[in-house]
Amino acid sequence: MRALVLLWSLGPLFLQLFSSLVTPETLVDPGKIAGGGHWTLANYRALLGASPSFGRYLLNSAVVGSGTTALTLLLAVPCAYGLQRQRGAMRWSVMAALLGAALFPTVLLFLALLGLARRFDLGNDLLALSLPYAGLSLPLAVLLLRTAIADLPPELEEAAQLEGLDFGERVRHVLLPLLSPALASTAILVFLFSWNEYPIALTWISRADRLTLPTAISRIAGSSVYAVPYGAFAAATVLGSLPLLLLVLLFQRSIVSGLTQGAIKG
Amino acid sequence: MSGLRIQNLSRQLGNRLLLDGLELTVAPGECLALLGPSGCGKTTTLRLVAGLDQPSSGRILLGGEDITGQPAGQRQVAMVFQSYALYPHLSVADNLALGLRVRGVPAQEREQRIATVLELLQLGNLRSRRPAQLSGGQRQRVALARALLRQPRVMLLDEPMSNLDAQLREELRPELRRLLCGAEPPVLYVTHDQQEALGLADRIAVLKDGRLQQLGLPRQLYEDPANLFVASFLGRPAINLLPAEGGRLLGLRPEHLRPTAAEGLPARLQRREWWGHQQLLLLDTPRGELRLLLPSGSEPGDSFQLDWPRACELWFEARSGERLRGFGSENTRAL
Repeated sequence: MRALVLLWSLGPLFLQLFSSLVTPETLVDPGKIAGGGHWTLANYRALLGASPSFGRYLLNSAVVGSGTTALTLLLAVPCAYGLQRQRGAMRWSVMAALLGAALFPTVLLFLALLGLARRFDLGNDLLALSLPYAGLSLPLAVLLLRTAIADLPPELEEAAQLEGLDFGERVRHVLLPLLSPALASTAILVFLFSWNEYPIALTWISRADRLTLPTAISRIAGSSVYAVPYGAFAAATVLGSLPLLLLVLLFQRSIVSGLTQGAIKG
Repeated sequence: MSGLRIQNLSRQLGNRLLLDGLELTVAPGECLALLGPSGCGKTTTLRLVAGLDQPSSGRILLGGEDITGQPAGQRQVAMVFQSYALYPHLSVADNLALGLRVRGVPAQEREQRIATVLELLQLGNLRSRRPAQLSGGQRQRVALARALLRQPRVMLLDEPMSNLDAQLREELRPELRRLLCGAEPPVLYVTHDQQEALGLADRIAVLKDGRLQQLGLPRQLYEDPANLFVASFLGRPAINLLPAEGGRLLGLRPEHLRPTAAEGLPARLQRREWWGHQQLLLLDTPRGELRLLLPSGSEPGDSFQLDWPRACELWFEARSGERLRGFGSENTRAL
């Protein structure tokens, strides 16, 4: 059963990896592999040697992703905290609105957003692209962090309060360390969204050296309109997923400890 | 006067009165237990004194100074929470150090104070453990250490032992008394466990529905309760209440009843619980079911007559629960 699930989810990835590493002839007839000598790094060389280089797109996406993540967390943490700790009458309506916004299909927004980009001259600016991304990520981030804050017993903060810690010190020494697993998993989700987003990037960015990964990959063309450059596509997706893989591995420990956080209370 | 003084303290939430005109003083070195069922206002009182909640009216004085409006961080009060509220991400030593560090206590003094308090509570070998790696009793001691380290002007404890098993509670009670009571800061100890209150506190305040029912020495409360609530809240097994003429109730503690050869209240044995050092007999009498506590060795037989010392009778007005004083012996026969 486990093997089946693994095959199901990892199969396409391996197929992609395989496609990126062989010549087009081998791809059409995998039997040739047995003959040997058909492995190649040509697809990768072509991508990185092109102008602008594929590394440029990775960098662009990283800039947008980091900007989006930083902006989202900066706004989401205080918002989630207020939502959880202030027991006002508006609380449930705000949460329902957030849930609605989080579930809204973002594709429907790209025309309106394009209008905004034109109006405020935000096109072709990577950090400006972080603005709609952060806006779209915020509802989900706030909801996730609010749940994490709800899991923190308020006595922890009260104990710190009685010990003479002011609000800033409580945030620094108690709240943020305890929220770090939730912050890490939220950050990854937001980064992932920004990394994969296509329609808004397509409409906001037109200059070749400012493209983000998804738009750049879509522009990869073959030698003629009839040739689909499978190998180049495959190499691009492999290169595009490596940074994410690294990121997840890096934060894996804190994400896993986020899952077991309930164990330390009591 | 130093110590803690609570004047006419009330807390209203919506249209519910959580606390209604509480008057209390706790002298320096005194341990006062706030005792009552859940929702009686005892934890509310503690949070008001700590500054975690604001009163609707009334004043709180600490060492003669009005601290009612002061923010919690400035009051120099220490509190042990029911859940202990240890910082889960910090080691025992860091849990203790955080408050001192933030207040700018120099590293050397900090280290020394922490070492002293760890020594006092026999926690020295656990200093680098995280709270998750401690047993319930150890966590409770760390929470206590954090409060003692504070050198507070008043010590507040919110059901500090309710998360521990019965045996551990019994073991820790004398230790808690040694650490807390008799030291300079007054102690306010919230509990719903009468055994804890009777065994630990110098005085007990019994609360119900936000109102003080009675304040006095443990023995006073038990032997001379102000009303029906105090009489039936204190004492296990609970006091026997016999309906009498004129809408009165006669309260008789199970240990005061005794089988007699002379004429008395006829009783028939219904059920027996053997507790080792004592036995509880449930009796059928013409006045209803009674509980009788006897030494475990005695064998009164299946039916016998019951008697009791007249001085132990507690009379109440059934409707209001008020205690009827100076009413007694000659009326007993009217039963």
